[in-house]
Amino acid sequence: MKPALNAMPDAFESQHFDLDDAGDAQEFYHSRGWTDGFPIVPPTPEAVQACLDWVLMPANEIIGIEPVRERAITAEKLAINAVMAGCLPAHFPVVVAAMMAMLKDEFLLHGTTASTGGCAILVILNGSIRKEIGSRSDFNVLGSSDRATSVIGRAIRLALINILQVSPGAIDRSTLGHPGKISYCIAEDEEGSDWSSLAESRDIPKDASAVTVLAACAPRQIMNEWTSKPEEILDTYAAEMRANMRNYSIWSGNYVVVMAPQHREHMRVAGWGRKEIANYLFEKARIKRSEWSTVGKGSVIRDKGDTEYCALPSPDHLLLVAAGGPAGGFGAIIPPWLGTKSQAVTAAIGVCLDCEPPPQTK
Amino acid sequence: MTIRVLNPTSEAVVETMQPAPRLTSLAGKTVGLISNGKEGTAGFFAHVDRLLRERYQVAQVVLRTKSNYSAPAEDEIIDEARNWDLAITGLGD
Repeated sequence: MKPALNAMPDAFESQHFDLDDAGDAQEFYHSRGWTDGFPIVPPTPEAVQACLDWVLMPANEIIGIEPVRERAITAEKLAINAVMAGCLPAHFPVVVAAMMAMLKDEFLLHGTTASTGGCAILVILNGSIRKEIGSRSDFNVLGSSDRATSVIGRAIRLALINILQVSPGAIDRSTLGHPGKISYCIAEDEEGSDWSSLAESRDIPKDASAVTVLAACAPRQIMNEWTSKPEEILDTYAAEMRANMRNYSIWSGNYVVVMAPQHREHMRVAGWGRKEIANYLFEKARIKRSEWSTVGKGSVIRDKGDTEYCALPSPDHLLLVAAGGPAGGFGAIIPPWLGTKSQAVTAAIGVCLDCEPPPQTK
Repeated sequence: MTIRVLNPTSEAVVETMQPAPRLTSLAGKTVGLISNGKEGTAGFFAHVDRLLRERYQVAQVVLRTKSNYSAPAEDEIIDEARNWDLAITGLGD
């Protein structure tokens, strides 16, 4: 049993309410705008305490501060929202790490959550924690594939709504939004891939579990079941990236490519790994500004028609994720919200990256 | 048997700044416009500029544009704004 750092649950700083029952709690929370519309798990002091105990955090620990509006996020408030989303204590370390990553300056959390662009926060899991929490990476991976990823993604959204007022019409000014704003979390299929994990490719030690967060648009699914050549398969992905550049945003940034096993097997047989795939897409996912004339945006080409834009600032901006069910020549690209204005952040789970080492003792 | 539950919102928000005193007139004042730099801002703020001068007798209109339309204005703009009587921020969506 883990030690309880907050021995008295009633000592939480949050206001508490004594309600008749769990059904009463549903209407109480919905009526105050504290949900995403789905039922919530009532955040009792005991359930919140269990999350805090799991991560060995006191309730008043500052997870981080949203830098634009200078709003602190405490472990207590994050745990309350995680419980509401359906998180078990074992899920909470992932929620904490994801929120810490989102609060890095380069993520630009306020801009991503306030923008009319309507992106969601995509959370990608790597490492042994995937197995510990029972996440899945195969069937329906971009849908409701498993309990863990569903509730972790939802916890991020509820925390934004309740702690940072990112509810529709308040801070959230999305014109459309997309379904990932309900929950947007996937785990990489590390066991089914010959590649190093996404986290490893982003300098996280192999033995550490990690999250990668990205301000991301909705997935755009592609299909190519009629070739085994890596170049031809990747030409389909590149075409979808170019389409996004023409139709949505031309700016380069962190693009996610989700590749299912069927395409990965062709890559493996041909000896193509992360590097080869990223280099190929870096070369192929390019358009000239003049192409805007083909999609009704000719009025803003001006004298820059010959200027070439690349989807990726460099090959290592590609976030290649092995995931998906075993059959089907499908994959997806997930575009960034707005070029490099928000950058993907990868952080190890349970590791304080900014902490000073403890002082040496004699 | 009741159930005790906790408030999930940020309850104790400490306001870190106070709004500037409200003006009673714009005549003879300096007004700063902070544009987010989007495509639509050029025409919009040019119109606002004209209205401020012609209808409200504003003495000077200063237009400054953020380099990142999704991030706060740069420190240089904030510093310059201290010399303005009024600041207007706007989107060009």
